[in-house]
Amino acid sequence: MPATRKKFLLASAAASAAGLAFPNVVLGKGEPIRLGLLPPITGAQALLGQQEQEGAKFAVDEINARPGKVFDDRPFELVIEDATSDNQSAVGALNKLLGENVDAVVCPVLSTQIQAMAPVMKGRQEPWMTGGTAVKNTQLGLTNIFRCRASDGITAQAMTGFAVEQLHGKKIAIFHSSEAFGTGGADQVEASLAKFGLKAVAREQYPNGTKDFTAEILRIKQAGADVVVGYIQNPSDVAVILSQYNSLGMKTPLVGSPSVGNQTAIDTAGKNSNGMYCAQDFILGFNSNVATKFVTGFYNRYHHVPDVSTGSGWVYDAIRLLADTYKKIGSIDKTKTALALHQTKHWEGVLGDFTCDAEGNMIHAMSIGRIENGKVSLVKKVVVAA
Amino acid sequence: MFDPSATLQLIVSGLAMGSIYALVALGFILIYNAVGVVNFAQGDFVMFPSYIAVSFVLPSVIVFGTVVHWQLPLIATYLLVLILMAAFGLLFNRIAYYPLRDRGWLPVVISTIGVSIFLRNLAQLIWGSQPIVFPSLFGDASLSAGNLHFRPQDLLILGVAGILIVFQYGLFEWTSLGKQMRATAQDRATAQLLGIRVDRIVAITFIYSVLLGAIAGLLVSPIFTVTKEMGGLISLKAFAASIVGGFGSIPGAIIGGLLIGVVENLGGFYISTAYKDAIAFVILIAVLLIRPSGLFGERVSEKA
Repeated sequence: MPATRKKFLLASAAASAAGLAFPNVVLGKGEPIRLGLLPPITGAQALLGQQEQEGAKFAVDEINARPGKVFDDRPFELVIEDATSDNQSAVGALNKLLGENVDAVVCPVLSTQIQAMAPVMKGRQEPWMTGGTAVKNTQLGLTNIFRCRASDGITAQAMTGFAVEQLHGKKIAIFHSSEAFGTGGADQVEASLAKFGLKAVAREQYPNGTKDFTAEILRIKQAGADVVVGYIQNPSDVAVILSQYNSLGMKTPLVGSPSVGNQTAIDTAGKNSNGMYCAQDFILGFNSNVATKFVTGFYNRYHHVPDVSTGSGWVYDAIRLLADTYKKIGSIDKTKTALALHQTKHWEGVLGDFTCDAEGNMIHAMSIGRIENGKVSLVKKVVVAA
Repeated sequence: MFDPSATLQLIVSGLAMGSIYALVALGFILIYNAVGVVNFAQGDFVMFPSYIAVSFVLPSVIVFGTVVHWQLPLIATYLLVLILMAAFGLLFNRIAYYPLRDRGWLPVVISTIGVSIFLRNLAQLIWGSQPIVFPSLFGDASLSAGNLHFRPQDLLILGVAGILIVFQYGLFEWTSLGKQMRATAQDRATAQLLGIRVDRIVAITFIYSVLLGAIAGLLVSPIFTVTKEMGGLISLKAFAASIVGGFGSIPGAIIGGLLIGVVENLGGFYISTAYKDAIAFVILIAVLLIRPSGLFGERVSEKA
């Protein structure tokens, strides 16, 4: 049926009338903003998935309860797909999520999954928020990926600097998990050591889920290491490693990646984690008011202390940052949102000061803590210019 | 460079891990001999009883999101776990095997894979995703003499596994039940003709296999932490061990398990830790190339 001037005018009048009668519908007021979340709900990394979901639900409920919600009375609506713990499933979950019309995606924390998902993410406009720390994650040719934690480059620099300058290590051994996170982190440690003119005396690796570390630990012992830098992915592996570390009579100080200071790892390792050092995005009692408010509120809701850096904290920050950005620009347009996220400067999150660099890295500081009796206390803070 | 003290420590911890591989491998072999299928849920028979045990050993545990206080003495916990797992073994036989017993091997194998997935997800549903620490009888103590350091739990594993192996030898050699189990494994039809109640013997074999997994779980829990993935790598190595030993051979499963445990440790130390896990499979390939029926397997010749 050909369009006539009369029909066009009638249609326009009807649309205007609808706009006057139902302004909220036309302007999207009150309409939910669909936020995709890809936690590993099942599989070996389900613990991280549980922590991510707790952080996400806590943030969404808090934002939806505030006056005006995200903005214009629009609440967040979580759309969750299980990324499980392998790359193929993560890609499948992402494809399914994208078919559900989401406005932004909180990606998995596992770097290997982010790298596997990159070909699907390329060319799409959704803002991708991640806590994956492998340096490469923000170098995949994506202009709309934003990392809400310090990268392994910063972490490795902080760990190595501490091992050499504070612990006076001359013979440093690297101990790492063999997947993308651990290998990438170990590479960064080697690069940082090179800046001090040092070379690792041993570099030992293990696949996640290993239960007997006797060979790895004895090799480090035999190499005569005076400090061990550990890049460990799984909090559940930490307890087994530290137990064997002590039972094999190792007295060498260990400076571990954030998972070593993960609350679950500390609780599981018990006394074996006493005296260990760990790189931490966040140390309880040494951060901002936002952090204190988060930890208190989280504890009141879930009755356990949050695993802030590796689990719930970065997801909480990612969702709050998205909400504040949407509110600031008054829109959920994907391109405008990504542009606005790139302009983030000194936004205060649980994990610290968020200032976006050209690659999408938001956090540029890392702390070194010491574990004693189930708690981490601040030893040193390292800030790298954005 | 040869390091005698490190070598001794590697052998002890390798034998301990190898004993666990051997117990799980025996579970594989017994079910395979009885019904001709590989049970892919054998690793989960290590995990699930460990979760049940921690629920009763610890003063408080979160079960279905609620804190419970079911603490029992350690020995009572072990007995309870073994009774529950024996009942589970019977249930496993009745649900996963019995209805499919006349439909060939593939449906039964798929059924065991289903049980494996079910148990892992059930564990996550009941106990959540947090790893749980199983308290060791020996606390955090380690046995030290000069440069040598051993975990007392490793020595306990070696002792218990040794007793179990002797018990199993006695069971199969000197008891009527053991002889019926052997007869059923060798030839079901003939065993039935001889008046052996084959279905009952198969059910007992399932229960015994589940109990072997449960004992392995109770032994390793204090050094592993209890997670729903804890049986995965063990069952993979145990499967390799049973093939190295000669699939179907009981002494082969034991020797295969111990061999893999020790060689992967020594290989990890003297060659490279990067290839530690690969070493088990290199042994597997090497044995299969040189002796396709495994170290203790019977040679099978095919007639033209």
